[in-house]
Amino acid sequence: MTTSRGGLPAGASAPGIGTALLRVGLALVIVYSGLVLGMGWWQVAQAGPLTNDPGNPLVLAAERNAPRGRIVDSRGQVVAMSAKQPGAEPVRRYPHPAMAPIVGYKSLLFGTGGLENSYDGQLTGLQQLGPGDQLLRKFRSDPYDPSELHLSVDIRLQEAALKALGSDRGAVVAIEPTTGRILALVSNPTYDPNQLADPATARAYLDTLRADKASPLLNRATQGRYVPGSVFKMVTAIAALDSGSIAPETTYADQPKQYQTGFRVAGFDVHDAPRTVQLDHPLNFYEATEVSCNIYFAHVGLDTGPANYVAWAARLGFGAPIGFELPTAASQVTGGGGPFGGLQDRVELANAAYGQGEVLVTPLQMALVAAAIADGGTMMAPRLVDKLVSENGNVHAVDSQVMSQAMSGTTAFAITKAMERAVNGPFAAGYAGGAAVPGVLTAGKSGTAQLAGGKRPHSWFIGFAPAGDPQIAIAVIAENAGLGSQHAVPIAGQLMQQYLQLAGSG
Amino acid sequence: MTSRASAGGGSDAARGRIAKGRDDLADRVASARSTLWRAGIRPRPRPREMLLLGFAALTLLIGWVSLASFRAGRVTTGDLGPLLTYLGVLVALHAAFVISGRRMDQILLPVTAMLGGLSLLVMSRLPQDLVVQTIAGSRFQLAELQLLWVCIGFALLGALAILVRQDGWLRYYKYTWAAVGILLLLLVFVLGEAVNGARLSVTIGPFTGQPSELLKVILVVFLAAYLADNRALLARQSTRIWRLNVPPLPYLLPMLAMWGIALAVVIVQRDLGAALLLFTVFLTLLYVATRRFSYVALGTVLFLVGAFVLYQLFGHVRTRVDIWLDPYADPLGAGYQVIRALYAFGRGGILGTGLGAGLPQVGSVPAIPAIHTDFVFTGLAEELGMLGGIAICGLYLVIAERGLRIAARAGDEFQALLATGLTLVIVIQAALIIGGNLKLVPLTGITLPFVSYGGSSMLSNAIVIGLLLALSDRGLGRVVPPPVRSRSARDAAAVPVREAASGDSGVDAQ
Amino acid sequence: MDTFTLTLWILRLTFVGLIYGFFFLVIRALWRDLRSTVSTAGTPLGRLVVLASPEGQPEAGTSIPLDAVTTLGRDVNNTIMVDDGFVSADHSMLTFRGRVWFLEDRRSTNGTFLNGQPVRGEIPMGYGDEIQLGGVRLRLERSVTPERDGRRR
Repeated sequence: MTTSRGGLPAGASAPGIGTALLRVGLALVIVYSGLVLGMGWWQVAQAGPLTNDPGNPLVLAAERNAPRGRIVDSRGQVVAMSAKQPGAEPVRRYPHPAMAPIVGYKSLLFGTGGLENSYDGQLTGLQQLGPGDQLLRKFRSDPYDPSELHLSVDIRLQEAALKALGSDRGAVVAIEPTTGRILALVSNPTYDPNQLADPATARAYLDTLRADKASPLLNRATQGRYVPGSVFKMVTAIAALDSGSIAPETTYADQPKQYQTGFRVAGFDVHDAPRTVQLDHPLNFYEATEVSCNIYFAHVGLDTGPANYVAWAARLGFGAPIGFELPTAASQVTGGGGPFGGLQDRVELANAAYGQGEVLVTPLQMALVAAAIADGGTMMAPRLVDKLVSENGNVHAVDSQVMSQAMSGTTAFAITKAMERAVNGPFAAGYAGGAAVPGVLTAGKSGTAQLAGGKRPHSWFIGFAPAGDPQIAIAVIAENAGLGSQHAVPIAGQLMQQYLQLAGSG
Repeated sequence: MTSRASAGGGSDAARGRIAKGRDDLADRVASARSTLWRAGIRPRPRPREMLLLGFAALTLLIGWVSLASFRAGRVTTGDLGPLLTYLGVLVALHAAFVISGRRMDQILLPVTAMLGGLSLLVMSRLPQDLVVQTIAGSRFQLAELQLLWVCIGFALLGALAILVRQDGWLRYYKYTWAAVGILLLLLVFVLGEAVNGARLSVTIGPFTGQPSELLKVILVVFLAAYLADNRALLARQSTRIWRLNVPPLPYLLPMLAMWGIALAVVIVQRDLGAALLLFTVFLTLLYVATRRFSYVALGTVLFLVGAFVLYQLFGHVRTRVDIWLDPYADPLGAGYQVIRALYAFGRGGILGTGLGAGLPQVGSVPAIPAIHTDFVFTGLAEELGMLGGIAICGLYLVIAERGLRIAARAGDEFQALLATGLTLVIVIQAALIIGGNLKLVPLTGITLPFVSYGGSSMLSNAIVIGLLLALSDRGLGRVVPPPVRSRSARDAAAVPVREAASGDSGVDAQ
Repeated sequence: MDTFTLTLWILRLTFVGLIYGFFFLVIRALWRDLRSTVSTAGTPLGRLVVLASPEGQPEAGTSIPLDAVTTLGRDVNNTIMVDDGFVSADHSMLTFRGRVWFLEDRRSTNGTFLNGQPVRGEIPMGYGDEIQLGGVRLRLERSVTPERDGRRR
């Protein structure tokens, strides 16, 4: 007994061990509770995402056991299906390669892309549709229930858009403004998913795609970031009108003479293109939109100020990737970090106001801007999938959701008027006039994005039709194709016309 | 003491009944009993242990049937041989404990048996060619080898529990033990072979072992002895440096030595887990012995400094930490196992996939290469679900409770510290590897006690539980009272002893 | 869901259930252990109230909790040290065995008295009885906390 006390008198020994043991026990209980929490995190909270992760061996096993669900367009045309092969794993077939930017690919060698990736769980049947099915899944003898994906895209519009772009690199995004349903989403050039899906050709084809300088694997519609040029004036208009910085009747007295002198902002001269139609009186908002007056919008931008500018842009979805079923890139008003409300100075703001400066946008973002204007200021979240139908007959309809209330109805109305004038006004022929759909009141804005280094400008158009009862909003960009009025505008007009005809004929 | 007296009283009463000559059976039982008593054997029934072992056996049987049925595709018991062998060993162990008459803890053995049984289930479920060894001309595979190790382990456990009646050989040769520990380290340094980047194994003749498993037991014995001798000094004295009360500097040396050993383990063996385990156990023991947080704080600072330096200097440490922080950086290389483990947790969910229905491999691609050692918990959590995982954590916590209680009731400080240290070795090791599986801490290559495959780990953990059982008998190493003049004086002297050992538990005495 | 799958799942869930059953039994054992420890170590079996103590050791009026074995005498090794000129080094012993208190005189010079009667050898006593050693008088009482059956065996 006493030997362990190191010669100290028994009464004066070290503190009792009991309390310390109690604390150690308590600490162990806490540590193990942490472990249990960790288990809860991975086995309950994260179980779904982990199970659907394409790297999960379970996904592989599921695909050996059940055929992957089909993908069909808005009218039921099959755009992706699995072809059984005797003695080998089923190979995915894509009857319409124009859908590649949306549907993506499912390769035995390289995994998945596009919707094949984002809906992998549902397509393989690992993610079940019915409530509680997910829990009961493991009790079934056949635990897989693959779903069929019904898209909002119309394959006819999609293929027409790809054809319209022709040899131009670029993108087309068409949206139903009231619901956010994507009607077409084209990126040109694109690739043939069939060759990626087929193990015999996949490797060589992927190498070809990667070596291609036109980067066909890049989804330009959602991830391409472009200088917008004049189509961005509509974002400027939203910020200016909705914040009350200007009214549609606002004019700038100096503006007519600044055609010649340039509008000097802190030592930098804002000019209009020499070809610009010049009027002898100060322009109001409608006229300035019609003739796409840079000087007018530079004034507007400065009046609006950087804070309003960035704030309204954020309401439109700028500054962060847009929530979507495909990966998206973030659009930006400015590179950020500057001292002038995030911008560098007044020069940058004046340039940004007419779509130059450091503004970069994705075609999807600009299509959403057009759709929001068309929908009276409400921006609907974009979506590609209308519903999922599982093999066992479960149906999951995807609801439309409001992404943001981007502007007031009054603002949207004023901008719609201006965009109608840009298509139908007396001087429209040199601008967005080419987009006019015969017999339908069309609204739009063309753009010619000047690029550094003397490259040909990007040709842009955003717009919607019919202006009073919008059914389609569209953004078109043709890379380095020159003037907006000569490329993007007619393509958009043709596509809108075609869609309205298709929709009218049912 | 009281209990022994009352047991004697009971036997007196029995003799009284014999004298009356009414019951033949009782007569025979009692005479057999008195024969045993004369031979120095005093059986002591262990009803609670029996009940729990029986329940564990039933549980394992159901698990076995569930696994066999799934694999066969129909309801069947499968080949019960391995399970029955294991249960037979347990029954024999229980019988040996009863005959030994020691008043040992009755819960540790069933809990350990449950863990060992789960291990057998997992091992017979995994692909058998994960481990193949040829011993004496015949070829053994994973499950057979693990059965062998579990049986040897439990035999060792029982032998220690029954035979260790004195603790002097542990406590008085503490520096010898320390020397043995360092020798083991040197052995690894000279003869070590690298497996998976860690230099753990030493092969001598036909045997391959991992000395670091034994090292942890030896170091705990040394630490318990050292701290028991010096704890009063460590706890009371302090040196004031600037405004901090720092422990007496000469007594810091062992701490530094311990730190050095931990570092050496990392550098020499490339074994992060063992180092982490040793240092954590050491700090906790130091706290228990002194109840001073300053030691723990100082130790933690030392640990952080060491960790930082090692991170900067050694690639394998850096790799481990980087994998932990972002396994997706190299999903097909370094991060492969960790990511696959997370998938497995996700597949398991709450109820699990059921024994046998998990996915250790698809086609010929193993999901987790180290599923029988480092990731055995992942395998169990996938097939038994979160519920099973929680139960396994609970079993380790029960071991913790028993161990700490044995420490609290121990006869002296050495025994208390030894019991604490041994308990911590198992419980902290389990926490470290489970946490590593769950990506809560960096994954370290240590085993899940009693569940992972591996002979060294099984044997050293069996030693730990065996010693704990021996310590739980409060007769262990009781210092014989010094000669006294009269009976009354002896009684008086005995009082404090009884007091220290009071609180006869229902568990070991019922 | 076919019969085999059902059976399999019943087996699987029974297995997990049994693990928890085992766990429950273990916890119950731990709980009983804890309770018995508390009731044996925590609550004293009885107490001695010091009625009179001429020398002040033990102090009059104090109450001393008792263990199963309590020795009284002038020697410091006793459980209760009684500092009195008429008390022997090892004077008397109080034990609790089989739910009964026993008082034993340990061949003291001046004897131990129970309720005024000298104690020879060992005699049983009950709560409320008075012990006298030399000038010191003590009364055996129940412990303050309601004492349950402390020794469960």
